[in-house]
Amino acid sequence: MKLTETEIERLYKFTREHFVYHYDVQSELVDHLANDIEQTWVAQPHLKFEKARDISFKKFGVFGFMDVVEKKQKAMNKHYWKILLRFVKEWFTLPKIIITGLIFMVFFTILQSTFAEETIIASTLILVIVDLFFLFKNRSKKKTPNEKTFLLESMIGETRNGFSVLVLVNIFNMINLSDVNFNTMSIYMLLLVAIFATLMCIVFYITAFVMPSKAQELLIEKYPEYKMI
Amino acid sequence: MTAVIARINKYTIKPQKNMGNQKLFKGSLQTIILKLLAQNDKMYGYEITQKVKELTKGELKITEGALYPALHKLEADGLLDVEVAKVGNRLRKYYKLTEHGTKETANKLAEMQEFLKTMQHLVNPKFSLE
Repeated sequence: MKLTETEIERLYKFTREHFVYHYDVQSELVDHLANDIEQTWVAQPHLKFEKARDISFKKFGVFGFMDVVEKKQKAMNKHYWKILLRFVKEWFTLPKIIITGLIFMVFFTILQSTFAEETIIASTLILVIVDLFFLFKNRSKKKTPNEKTFLLESMIGETRNGFSVLVLVNIFNMINLSDVNFNTMSIYMLLLVAIFATLMCIVFYITAFVMPSKAQELLIEKYPEYKMI
Repeated sequence: MTAVIARINKYTIKPQKNMGNQKLFKGSLQTIILKLLAQNDKMYGYEITQKVKELTKGELKITEGALYPALHKLEADGLLDVEVAKVGNRLRKYYKLTEHGTKETANKLAEMQEFLKTMQHLVNPKFSLE
């Protein structure tokens, strides 16, 4: 006996109720549960759908789908970093390397000026405001809870693998609280700080603007099923 | 309270004989998945659990909570590639070996053979007079 369309829908709902929010993870679990339920029905054809479903779910252990979701998230983080690295590399090839060089020079010059700390703190603050503005703008466009969202899609659009306003706020705090004085630092130290700041700028730009603008391409590349739904 | 403990035990405690096997088996899960995929071109999660059950006559059972994390890790490491097909009224995700995965399967199997040989020496040593 095969599961009906309605029963499949109910399985999707069941996974959502058990804290699986992304369609790609849900689909795999639904297929697994469906196969197992059908297998149970071979031996016990009169067993109710809910009962058979609960038997299958119990096989996932006491933590249910949590382990699967957690590990999937970890695997996807790895994938996100790979994509990010691919884009970062572009900034070290022609023609973008010229812009990278310019950003570096600007940072290096600012760091040697008398107002280094103030400039860095002010620009971090501006970035935080810009980031928050886009974050709220995207939130207002957020899908309804029943729409299909892929894990990578939500990472590109919302969480950005943790690299969002939080990192910037932390940098802001670090500089502000630790009383860093760039004027007393050696030239080599300033070089390192400038390299780090340039990298931060590039990563921020990629995660906030480049990746979201290429989300469709990246999702098609990762999910063969993306075009099917 | 007793009811709660009994419920937890129901999920966590398995027969002793089985438990020992499952522990030994856990470290070999990735190698088993890779080996199965090397023999079967492409497989989906449920198929893998059933195949292992069938091949080992029910002696070893891949738990659902361990299989998918292992598959997702192998995919993230670039050893597996995925393919999705609509089967009946649902989507099915198939896993297959990448080129890198095929090479890695050979390495992992060689490692496993070596390990089995070492274990054999340890649990069943052959004494000689030399």
